[in-house]
Amino acid sequence: MNAAIRALKMPIRAEAGLPRRVTARLSIGVSKGPKATVDWADLIGRVASDGDREAFKRLFEHFAPRIKGLMLKAGCSPDESEEIAQSTMIAVWRKAHQFDPATAGAPAWIFTIARNLRIDLFRRRARTDRLETGPELPDAPDQAEPADILISRGQDAARIASALKQLSAEQSTVVRLSFIEERPHPEIASALGIPLGTVKSRIRLAMNRLRDILDEEA
Amino acid sequence: MTISHHPPEDLLADFAAGKLEEAHQLVVGVHVAGCPRCTRFVQAIEQLAGAALEEVEPVSIAPDAFDRVMSRIQEAPRETAAPSLVSGMDDDVPPALRKYRIGKRRRVAPGLSLRPIELSSSGKSRAFLLRSAPGSRMLEHTHTGTELTLVLEGSFSHEGGRFGPGDFDYGDDEVDHRPIVGDEGPCLCLVAMTGDLRMNGLLGRLIGPFVRL
Repeated sequence: MNAAIRALKMPIRAEAGLPRRVTARLSIGVSKGPKATVDWADLIGRVASDGDREAFKRLFEHFAPRIKGLMLKAGCSPDESEEIAQSTMIAVWRKAHQFDPATAGAPAWIFTIARNLRIDLFRRRARTDRLETGPELPDAPDQAEPADILISRGQDAARIASALKQLSAEQSTVVRLSFIEERPHPEIASALGIPLGTVKSRIRLAMNRLRDILDEEA
Repeated sequence: MTISHHPPEDLLADFAAGKLEEAHQLVVGVHVAGCPRCTRFVQAIEQLAGAALEEVEPVSIAPDAFDRVMSRIQEAPRETAAPSLVSGMDDDVPPALRKYRIGKRRRVAPGLSLRPIELSSSGKSRAFLLRSAPGSRMLEHTHTGTELTLVLEGSFSHEGGRFGPGDFDYGDDEVDHRPIVGDEGPCLCLVAMTGDLRMNGLLGRLIGPFVRL
């Protein structure tokens, strides 16, 4: 499983085609400890089976600051990012028994928790704004959850990781900047030093390529 | 169920990143839940997101964050019970929507009725179930924003092809569709729409007075 994650990271970390700024930032991510040897899935398993506080603390120290970092990049305020980071880790503790390393890597699983909490937070905020400005609307029931909770994930983690390896570093980077970090296309263009039109076409090509590879692997 | 029409990839990526309006998130999510091919694509984007999470520069969290998290965990260590089914075993509500409160059916035109879906937020998008009689010609319309349609039962056809259960139709403001419902039975669709429903299009003019979503 870890091998799959490491493999997945290789094309992203490959320096070819990346501007200095991005490469430098990537290297900061590895500065803390022997990350490649940590088996996050094993730590999550220990939380699930034994309520292992020490394992949880290691997960917390690694992931909480990264969740905060990613949420800040994606446009959340510092307070919101902090709240999402803490709530995500609480959910990691509570849902640890649901984690299945065959369906997703630990970082991807933790990302989906943070993402769902961010969706909830935004909806709650929108509802509060609405109640303040338009009291005629009744408070909606709080039961609506992101529909993807219903998605049953196939046992495809390894296969998907191997498909992602076939994306070029350039393609992975542009998808990540656009969709995960949610940076506007003009900003991506200047960060990567390429024309705006190239950003758009590269995203399009990356999406089509990913779809094709996944179809071939199916 | 053979699905031949899928959401565009960038819409799936936005879905995986959690960026869509609630109505769109719902319609794409119901499609993905029934489509192994799109589930794989979404999982791939989530894996990329996981890699991004590993690579991102960590930002210091509050010094007491771990203690606060542990005390919140100890206050309520177990998950609460599963949410109750709001819509219950309603006739034409698919299982994926049973957690939503769904309004009464309203007839909006001959052979055409809809049920609004109550969303938790006040985004610019609306979601509803649209039921059309077999063989009917759906209202000709254009939209100011995007319109996502997922077929739940029956079928319709337009110049883009035939759309059966599980198929996803993406319409933007450049599309001018005049779908015809298949003869095999009523067509039930889950629709998400952005833009103002009191828009200038014919559909908006026709259903606007009836619908307060």
